Amino acid sequence: MHLRRNSRYLLTLLLCLGILMPAAVSAADEEHPYEATSSGYFRDQDTLPGGYSLYRQDEAGRLWGGPSGGDIKRASFQADAHEGLDGYGRRSCVSCHETERYSLHTSRGNTSCVQCHRDKPIAGLYHYYSAMNPIRRHAYICAKCHEGSTASFATYVVHEPRPLVGSTADSFPLFYYAVWFMVILAVGVFAVFLPYVTLWGVRELIEMFGKGGGHNG
Amino acid sequence: MANIKRFTTIQRLSHFVLILTFMLLSVTGLAWMYIETGWGQGLANIFGGYIAVLEVHRITGLILLIGFVLHIGYMLYIINWRGLPKSILGPDSLVFQKKDWLDFVQHLRWIVGLSKEPRFERWSWWEKFDYWAVWWGLLIVGVTGLMLYNPVLSSDYMPGWLLNIAVWVHRIEALLAMAHIFTIHFFVEHFRPRCFPFSATMFEGSKDIEHLRQEHPAWVERMEREGRLSDVLVPAVPVPLRILHFVTGYALITLGVFLVVYAIINVTYLTLAF
Repeated sequence: MHLRRNSRYLLTLLLCLGILMPAAVSAADEEHPYEATSSGYFRDQDTLPGGYSLYRQDEAGRLWGGPSGGDIKRASFQADAHEGLDGYGRRSCVSCHETERYSLHTSRGNTSCVQCHRDKPIAGLYHYYSAMNPIRRHAYICAKCHEGSTASFATYVVHEPRPLVGSTADSFPLFYYAVWFMVILAVGVFAVFLPYVTLWGVRELIEMFGKGGGHNG
Repeated sequence: MANIKRFTTIQRLSHFVLILTFMLLSVTGLAWMYIETGWGQGLANIFGGYIAVLEVHRITGLILLIGFVLHIGYMLYIINWRGLPKSILGPDSLVFQKKDWLDFVQHLRWIVGLSKEPRFERWSWWEKFDYWAVWWGLLIVGVTGLMLYNPVLSSDYMPGWLLNIAVWVHRIEALLAMAHIFTIHFFVEHFRPRCFPFSATMFEGSKDIEHLRQEHPAWVERMEREGRLSDVLVPAVPVPLRILHFVTGYALITLGVFLVVYAIINVTYLTLAF
């Protein structure tokens, strides 16, 4: 009885091993997803560790002076962001969203609002099924024109804040300080050189006509 | 009248390639920056529309960057490595030295009539400034230009929001470079009374000795003292070639001034928000 029970255990163990062994071997042969090369649907940067992560973008953005989302309105989570607005159907987008009227996309690409804000009705940016949701924005919106767009690419701020106004120092610090640096550099060069060369020209003119140039020159 | 050789053929050729690429980048860049205006669209139409004008801008930018890399190679080649650091701190070097700062202060004092004119060596302080300004400018527009060359690809290696910054930095540095070349550089090299109407030194490679005795007296005296002056004397450039240089130079100056004037006139039609 004792032996029979032991042999039954042994048999069961062997049977289990027999089933599991080939499976274990084949699992070892398979590449871990991180090590897999691109399937063609994604590029290496989308799958390799250490690349751009959609889920760490806010953290990384704050660390490096990137854009912050600012205050998120309740309507940003609604399926219809404009639900219940009086006279909504008779108004144009920019009659309310005046500050979003101009961007490089509209002024140079001639795009209209609804080419990107494409849901019908227009969903809030963070509604789960919104095409604008950062989870799928790059694929559903940006890639319509920018072939191969990635989540990182989609963090480009289309409606960028005005770079030189004070509030941008909070909402997009690196943008604010980089543009101010360039403006100071450019203005500084001209603040030095324009008066300098003007006086220089006058000095040479005086010298040319012999009025006071002789004793100094 | 004898001339003193000031630039080698390679240096003149480098400057000419720089002129051509810079002008092409200016026209195509402004066409894109002003594409909302009739002027910008007109500039773009010369190249076949805004898509083509951007492509020309990108390829010309690459050519300029290749030229920049070649220039760095050339510079590393002509440095006298065994004589360092003396060889790059000598009077023939473009590296800024204490004398340049003193010259700058004295030049300013001379302008307002407080001092004698500084006696410049081979390179005056503003010539050195112009040389290094191309380095700083090219590094800034070059790096941001490469970031913007293929924004989808470049955002694989950095967050896409850096492109917001790259656009503005590229734009401001390009405006600074154009405005500096088309006003300050043209004035100092061609329009100030001593050089008016046109200084062809960078085209001809040489300048007449009397002018250099006035503008770079310490250099001419050093060469006389060392008995090297006769080695660098070259005959004056023949008249037909001088006419060609003059016409080419003025065509480029006219183009530069045209770009500045029309960019200023049309700026109010842009929807860029500062």
